[in-house]
Amino acid sequence: MSTHRIAGKGRFDHGGPVRFTFDGKRYEGRRGDTIASALLAHGVHLMGRSFKYHRPRGPVCAGTEEPNALVETSRGKGRFEPNTRATAQELREGLEVRSQNRIGSLAFDLQAVNDLVHPLFSAGFYYKTFMWPRSFWDRVYEPVIRRAAGLGRAPDAPDPDRYAHRNLHTELLVIGAGPAGLAAALAAARAGAEVTLVDEHAEMGGALLSDPDVVIDGKPAWDWLAAALAELDRLGVRRLTRTTAIGYYHQNFVGLCQKLTDHLDEPPEGAPRERMWHVRAVRVILAQGALEKPLVFDGNDRPGVMLAGAAQTYLNRYGVLVGDTPAIVTSHDSAYHAAFDLADAGAKVAAIVDVRAAPGEGVLVEARRRGIEVLTSHTVTGTNGRLRVKSLRVAPVSGGRVGAARTIACDCVLMCGGWTPSLHLFSHTKGTLKWDEALDAFLPDRSAEECHIAGAGRGLWGYGAALADGAEIGVTAARALGLDAEAAAPVVERDRTGTGETFKELPTDGDAGRKRAFVDFQNDVTAKDIRLAVKEGMRSIEHVKRYTTNGMATDQGKMSNVNGLMIASDAVGKAPPQVGLTTFRPPYTPTTFGAFAGYHRGRHFEVTRRTPIDPWAEAHGAAFEPVSLWRRAWYFPKAGEDMDAAVARECAATRGSVGIFDASTLGKIEVQGPDAVEFMNRMYTNPWTKLGIGRARYGLLLGEDGYIRDDGVIGRLGEDLFHVTTTTGGAARVLNMMEDYIQTEWPDLKVWLTSTTEQWATVALNGPNARRVLEPLVEGQDLSAEAFPHMSVAECTVAGFPARLFRISFTGELGFEINVPARHGLALWEALMKEGERYDICPYGTETMHVLRAEKGFIIVGQDTDGTVTPDDAGLSWAIGKKKADFVGMRSLRRPDLVAEGRKQLVGLMTEDGDVKLDEGAQVVADPEQALPMKMIGHVTSSYYSAALGRHFAMALVEGGRDLEGRDVFVPTPEGIRRATVTTTAFYDPAGERLKV
Amino acid sequence: MLLIHCPYCDETLPEAEFAYAGEAHVDRPADPMALSDDEWAAFLFIRSNPKGVHAERWRHVHGCARFFNAERDTVTDAFVSTYRAGEPRPGTKCSAGAPAGDDMKVAAE
Amino acid sequence: MTMHDTRMPDATVTIEDLAPDARFSLRVGADGRAAASETLGLDLPVRVGDVARGAEERTALCLGPDEWLITAPAEAGGAIARAFADLYDRTPHSLVDVSDREVTVRVTGPEALTLMTIGCPRDLARLAPGRAVRTVFDGATVILWRDAEDTFRMDVWRSFAPFVRDLLEIGRAEIAAGL
Ligand SMILES: [Zn+2]
Repeated sequence: MSTHRIAGKGRFDHGGPVRFTFDGKRYEGRRGDTIASALLAHGVHLMGRSFKYHRPRGPVCAGTEEPNALVETSRGKGRFEPNTRATAQELREGLEVRSQNRIGSLAFDLQAVNDLVHPLFSAGFYYKTFMWPRSFWDRVYEPVIRRAAGLGRAPDAPDPDRYAHRNLHTELLVIGAGPAGLAAALAAARAGAEVTLVDEHAEMGGALLSDPDVVIDGKPAWDWLAAALAELDRLGVRRLTRTTAIGYYHQNFVGLCQKLTDHLDEPPEGAPRERMWHVRAVRVILAQGALEKPLVFDGNDRPGVMLAGAAQTYLNRYGVLVGDTPAIVTSHDSAYHAAFDLADAGAKVAAIVDVRAAPGEGVLVEARRRGIEVLTSHTVTGTNGRLRVKSLRVAPVSGGRVGAARTIACDCVLMCGGWTPSLHLFSHTKGTLKWDEALDAFLPDRSAEECHIAGAGRGLWGYGAALADGAEIGVTAARALGLDAEAAAPVVERDRTGTGETFKELPTDGDAGRKRAFVDFQNDVTAKDIRLAVKEGMRSIEHVKRYTTNGMATDQGKMSNVNGLMIASDAVGKAPPQVGLTTFRPPYTPTTFGAFAGYHRGRHFEVTRRTPIDPWAEAHGAAFEPVSLWRRAWYFPKAGEDMDAAVARECAATRGSVGIFDASTLGKIEVQGPDAVEFMNRMYTNPWTKLGIGRARYGLLLGEDGYIRDDGVIGRLGEDLFHVTTTTGGAARVLNMMEDYIQTEWPDLKVWLTSTTEQWATVALNGPNARRVLEPLVEGQDLSAEAFPHMSVAECTVAGFPARLFRISFTGELGFEINVPARHGLALWEALMKEGERYDICPYGTETMHVLRAEKGFIIVGQDTDGTVTPDDAGLSWAIGKKKADFVGMRSLRRPDLVAEGRKQLVGLMTEDGDVKLDEGAQVVADPEQALPMKMIGHVTSSYYSAALGRHFAMALVEGGRDLEGRDVFVPTPEGIRRATVTTTAFYDPAGERLKV
Repeated sequence: MLLIHCPYCDETLPEAEFAYAGEAHVDRPADPMALSDDEWAAFLFIRSNPKGVHAERWRHVHGCARFFNAERDTVTDAFVSTYRAGEPRPGTKCSAGAPAGDDMKVAAE
Repeated sequence: MTMHDTRMPDATVTIEDLAPDARFSLRVGADGRAAASETLGLDLPVRVGDVARGAEERTALCLGPDEWLITAPAEAGGAIARAFADLYDRTPHSLVDVSDREVTVRVTGPEALTLMTIGCPRDLARLAPGRAVRTVFDGATVILWRDAEDTFRMDVWRSFAPFVRDLLEIGRAEIAAGL
């Protein structure tokens, strides 16, 4: 039975029960309840244990700023979430809720022993206590602390939910749908603005939802609210509830996280759990209101102690009376209204304890009328009750002296230390804040964005003021959008206005050192900790924050920052603005990783580019490897073969007869124009002027710094037309670099570049039988060695498809590369496979390609080079046009350090024992007996088993390597240090005899 | 995410369509081989890195594909201006990164 | 022609793969634009995003100051290539057949604009029907055509198409779920 649900109170239908469990016990809540409101309806305040001292805790708030009531929730298989804020999470049928951060039961937590030894855990205790002995940190302290001081458990199963993303462009984004936000949205929308209104709660209305007695334009607040929302809908305003503005970035770019299904019993099929909106708004209105501050006194963290405004919300919005005999402790008039609402709902108010000497006259009259005792100029010196507050000790304060205390019995304590404008998002924009002496609060000062702040967010108080300000700001924003707008401020009766004062920790009696007055509930930081931090030398609030961890919990100090500042500034002896306010950073509230990842998870994690021939490879059992964004066939294992066996077979088959390889991922650029040859001369190291039409050449591309950037074979198809190929990973980069030079350095050149990487599918045929396989399929080109020698290119027809045919070789064998329009790539492959059957044609993957090229000493840019390798280092000086006056990077090849002795040069390495494989990346030393640290003279770049050589071989970049030919160096392997002999990189057929066919 | 005005498309568009391309108005010497090592090193490596307004290059890579220049405040990240390659930096007589060849002039009309 | 139709009875957005057209990337300086326009039989537009339409279903989309995407029915490709080859000596330019580089997917229906916003950061409400732009969709470069108020067409590089297509399907299911 809900013992504390008040008939006729609350926003929602009291009819529909929603069943849930808390720590295994069954409860019933109502549709629209949060976990906290439903538990409070059953008189349950104890919902968690604190972070450090494991003190019993209950909810302090009724919103997302909650520091205490963090629970674990399960919404079915795999849908487990730690640190759910019980005050924000709506109930759904079958929700399983568990308390966290405890060992044993919630009521009897074994680690509550921490609380008894709390002097050990004072500010900076990590730094002081666990310094010695050093070795204990890893083995003892850290694991123990990790286990003991924590929030919830991490989920251990993959998140089965979907997360969505949308971009939204809007004229006016209004954040916060309380009175100011509603009035602003109404005013702007009436003027014709296109408006988006968002609010983090399940329904719009903000504080109006907790103050139904206010009368607006002659209507009860909730009737006015319903009419306002209906009008917004009629005006076409986009309204998003359960939507938190988590970050405010440059140029009115705002991230919104919308919760879509957590509150639904049965989410629709395919529905995402949350959606991240990337909003770009022309204008933004921040109407986020103000956050109520706790008061800082001994025992202000017991279950049953909560903010007065929260109690008011639980009553009016959820129909839940949080206690039968509430005691109120306040320094602001607003708590009186909470007391009145609870009293009017049947509670017996124990007393209103006001820290101030002179509360507002109006609230005093009302209190008297209700017969509520008001104690002004009083302080609270302590509370009692283990798992729920039972009483309050109060004492008069006069002239700074605390008088005799008396005990007031109560079952809850409602506190209010005033209100802090919620300026987190404004802070994200680098908007500056200024300290308001009258309000003892930071208010927005200069804005860095096209944004306005309305209502309590800029220190205004009362419904009339908030509504009028909202309407005014809405008009201002509409006018800024170029619209005609008139403000019409609603008339408010029975307004709840008032003022307050801001205090540091409340005065107390007895031994102040034994008092536990909490400032930051989530991180268990007390007023004493903050004073200790100042005493130990911290002067800036940023240092105090880091030393004490005040404000560093997941609530980012929404409730603790200003209280912490007041205490620190008192201890430092300076005014609050001189001690400073810590920086707020996105996200405003904790946000799921899923919402940030959006669609990019699982199979949609990132693009996987596939070639037109990829389906064939997949159907034929290829193993794949990622190469930049592509997936490429790595090798084609036959039954029972591992990778080494498959690669050895593919290598042997290619050198022995013919292999076929999908080279479609190679970058391709069409270079065309009257200045094409001049452009090629300027870009590449090689000379191009004399390259005949129908001929091809290896091209080497440097950066302006002289280091190798890319390479590839380039064919000349016409006087003004080149077919350039790039490495797979370099395609986009090379095109970008070329466009840069054309557009910004040589705009006088008449030449144009077009990416054709994906226009062509490319199949490479290599091996002594390559010509025999290809010849029957070719029309329009004589393939004989005389008519089509090595390094030729022609346009012809292959297998009936228009083709660009190259005779080139990346294997040292007779080789062809056939380019056909991509849609025909698979058909070409299949035609070649069929034609090659009688030669036992062997499909091979990237691994075999790598082995075969390495056997010839051909480099892979990015594997055998690393961005610091010159053409000479790589043994490619022959590719530099000796008579050229300039090309990109040419001047750098004379830089002193590029011509210096002892540069790392690409060489071959042959281990003493041919069965030993060196690891790519392994370091090379000249003498393994030298003293530590050894001098590294290079590293292995490529290492394979060669079927042709019958042994392992490697390439390495080694200092002065070419001079070391024939000498031994040493390379560590997992089995020990191995001796290897430095060789040239021409491992196989150094004379190139096999190309002469 | 910033909004960037492309001077070729004449539209203000999301940063996701653009790529940064380093400091602007660093001209490649006409005859690099005539430069001393120090002069060449200065061209290669030395950049201004100001606190305040920085002239820099961007490319509308997922749009019109043009490189253009921009002035951006490195303190606030805010763009002060964007202008076409070959045009002088606004408010200065400083020559731009590229000589305004005929192609660029007509392309820019 | 619809090759692959995932129409659902209650879907508010339809995603279709289209058969390939003839597509060329045309690059020519301002001095050659008139001659190129004449060769093509339509006036090459000069404002980025504008589309000109000529006889025989030929269109030219201005992608940049000296760049146009030419489209025509598949069978008309050869004639266009030949006409420009003849033009080259008088008016140097670059005409590259890119018919196979991209594939085209069409999105239609009342929620088409919503579906596009899941992957495209541009303000697509401002892309007027009849215009087209090169932009990004879920990280991939695309040419996005707005053929009508509720009809979009995207040319996507062939190897990126399955990824883009996948997101469109996820988004379609999401819209169908009504949240
Ligand atoms: Zn542009």
